[in-house]
Amino acid sequence: MSPDLSSLVHWILFLPLGAAALSALFLRRSGAVAAWFSTATAFAIAALSLRLLTQSTGDVTWHVELAKLGEISLGFGYLIDANARLMLFVVSFVAAWIHLFSVGYMQDDAARGRFFAGLSIFMFSILGIVVADNLLMTFIFWELVGFSSYMLIAHYFDKDFAAAASKKAFITNRLGDLGFILGIALCLHLYGTLDFAALKAHAGPAVPVAVGALLMCGFLGKSAQFPLHVWLTDAMAGPTPVSALIHAATMVAAGVYFMARVSFLLAPEVLQWMAISGAGMAALAGLCALAQTDIKKSLAYSTLAHLGIMGCALGLGHPELAVLHMAMHAFFKATLFLGAGSVIHGCHHEQDMLKMGGLLKKMPLTAATFIAATLSNCAVPFFAGWYSKDAILEAAWHGHHVAVFAFLALAALATCLYSGRMIRLVFLGEANSEAAEHAHESPWTMTLPISVLGLVFAVGAGFAAHYLIPASSLQVVHESLAEMRFSFTAPSTIVGLLALALGLGGALKFYGTVRGADALQVVSPRAYALLERRWMDGLYRWWIDGPQRRLAEFVAFLDLLLINGVAVRWIAGGATAALGHLTGRSFHRGQTRGYALWIVVGSLLLAWYLLAR
Amino acid sequence: MEHTTLAHHLLVAGLLFALGLTGVLVRRNLLVVYMCLELMLTAATLALVAFSRFNRTMDGAVFVFFIITVAAAEVAVGLALIVALYRRRGSMKSDELTTLRD
Amino acid sequence: MPDGLFIFFAALTLGAASLLVLSRNAVTSAMGMILALVGVAADFFLLDAYFLGVLQVLVYAGAVMVLFLFVIMLLTDTAESSEGYPWKSAAVGLAVFFFLTAGVLWLFVWSGAVPATAAGATPPELSANPGEFITAAKGFGRLLYTKYLLPLEIAGFLLLVALVGVVSLSKDPVEENA
Repeated sequence: MSPDLSSLVHWILFLPLGAAALSALFLRRSGAVAAWFSTATAFAIAALSLRLLTQSTGDVTWHVELAKLGEISLGFGYLIDANARLMLFVVSFVAAWIHLFSVGYMQDDAARGRFFAGLSIFMFSILGIVVADNLLMTFIFWELVGFSSYMLIAHYFDKDFAAAASKKAFITNRLGDLGFILGIALCLHLYGTLDFAALKAHAGPAVPVAVGALLMCGFLGKSAQFPLHVWLTDAMAGPTPVSALIHAATMVAAGVYFMARVSFLLAPEVLQWMAISGAGMAALAGLCALAQTDIKKSLAYSTLAHLGIMGCALGLGHPELAVLHMAMHAFFKATLFLGAGSVIHGCHHEQDMLKMGGLLKKMPLTAATFIAATLSNCAVPFFAGWYSKDAILEAAWHGHHVAVFAFLALAALATCLYSGRMIRLVFLGEANSEAAEHAHESPWTMTLPISVLGLVFAVGAGFAAHYLIPASSLQVVHESLAEMRFSFTAPSTIVGLLALALGLGGALKFYGTVRGADALQVVSPRAYALLERRWMDGLYRWWIDGPQRRLAEFVAFLDLLLINGVAVRWIAGGATAALGHLTGRSFHRGQTRGYALWIVVGSLLLAWYLLAR
Repeated sequence: MEHTTLAHHLLVAGLLFALGLTGVLVRRNLLVVYMCLELMLTAATLALVAFSRFNRTMDGAVFVFFIITVAAAEVAVGLALIVALYRRRGSMKSDELTTLRD
Repeated sequence: MPDGLFIFFAALTLGAASLLVLSRNAVTSAMGMILALVGVAADFFLLDAYFLGVLQVLVYAGAVMVLFLFVIMLLTDTAESSEGYPWKSAAVGLAVFFFLTAGVLWLFVWSGAVPATAAGATPPELSANPGEFITAAKGFGRLLYTKYLLPLEIAGFLLLVALVGVVSLSKDPVEENA
């Protein structure tokens, strides 16, 4: 409420924009300066967000009207509630450490200035989504996030696959955004306002299904939910810090955050769809992760699984749990990605897990943090992931959603399986290639961030959620957590522990049996191929190559026939051809004077017609 | 002395316009063609001012003000285009720029 | 009969414009253009639009034509090719010119479309009523910042865009690739 805090938000939001502008305009050639400058900015933002998290209790609001079109007011403003405060802190904090990591990771990159400018503009965009107090502003920053994601995925734009991946991500997101903007238009039409607070007041208990369904489209695209999930695994073509920041911790979570913010606009049907499809995708993506040998792609599937779980939590009617899981996930998944980055860096840019192995001894610090984060990922009790994931399982059980619960249990099992596989292949056993043989620990700029994020937060954040949250402003989360029973007789706990024992133990043992190849592929090539195959990509390809291409060709034919043929050629072409025939020369000679003459003739005829009328 | 009518001004404007148009059609030097185009624009402004004066309203004159502004911007961009074209093609003859044919 | 000053400046304008169209030297053409523009400015003065007249001289005859002259000299392509006039297109141009002239004469002089009496006969008396035709720049100022505020802003923005466009167009393409 106090002006002091809204000015704090000004600083948080516009610092990264300033940093991006400075880097892009003046520091393109001096990468080292840009890197440290950008990193310093990120830490400043993190500090400011921490201050906001600890100092304010009520909602911070601030609004300025930009334009008034009739009854409709378009504005720019902040609405910082408990969720926003948590999200601000998570985003800025994770981002700060990832910035620091990037300083080391991108040391030899020629285009560091561009990279850090991109990171800063991404920060600006995502923070804009977090603080936005109306749908329009959200949408604008939503698009900015899409743009910066595009730019950062295509960092290695001279490589074909990176360029293709960035295009794929952008176009897929655009599909979702189409629904999003239609949803915004519908809101405007129904309620006459775009402000969250006003919408909440206007929207009664019976919200039309279409509103929620359309707004959900944006979430489907940005958070890579089924059926628009296809871009996320390809997006791993970007530099690893980008994967960690954008495609694991923050951007994909923005969709979840946004859905939580407009949860009052979601009709029960929409929620049901989100719960089922989220849980289904969580299970499926977890299994697909088993059939990836690229460490980053495997992690990408893991991210998909967790996003599914978050979507499921939203669908179950627990947006605060979704946001909590998002926060926890941000910590441990960022750690996992940064750990993967450190491994890749250490193994001289080898990304194939089958060619790694035995890195526990060569990179002890990375290994320790990676394993800690993995345990959190598997929801080992008292690690961060456990608190939020078990709460969601619990919620599914209490809501009597049997199918959802079953899918989530399967997802839990799959998570443990691929986590165990990853640890076994990368860190245990013996080195399977020259590169892994000569692996080395990364510099401090890389190990420090993963240590902080991994050991302190991926492990400890759960305790923070449990003990610190009541002290701070996250009352909402705490209440729903308190409702959940943390007992060893609860079905969620039983299922979780069972999955843990089966999955982790099984994977560690199973994947130790074969060396230099994937055990599942050796044992059952068909099952492996089934999981590796990208069904939705195939479906899209079929659709675009088949029906859509035919439709496009048909429309093009109509265009040729009706517009070019009848409307243009028949009248203009026919007339000039006739005249040309009369005077014996071509009228289409590419000479500007000839065209000018015909323009004059046409204008004169028009003037004559108008005057004689 | 006071018998300059609206028709007189319009006549001058019309003739000026016709001259400019003829230049556009006849000349081959792109720069001269461009000057002729500007001349046509000026002819139009002359007519506007005359109408504005004889109808005792300010709107036409303000319109002319905007035309002058836009024309200044247009000339700058147009000349830059011509220079860029000359650099690329080495020619300013409108006859030799026939890419549009294909 | 119109007054002497008008006849003088009209003749000057049309003569200079003919010079622009007919001269084979681009520099002479530009000089003709300047003269024609000054003639039009003088016409503006005769129509009591002093502000526009000044603007015309400053912007057009001053800035714009200097730009033209610079480009002409820069590209050193001063003489129109010595291969003579393209008679064929000149014939077309001449035909268009006479046709247009006839049309203009008919429309403005003989057709009676322009009222020869009342408002059209003599310039109406000027009044101090704001919103009506005012000779002083004040009238412009008032209208530009009230009724035409948005167009004014857009025009300003357009100038900025043009500025940026010119800078990017003028960049040496070779240097850009390096």
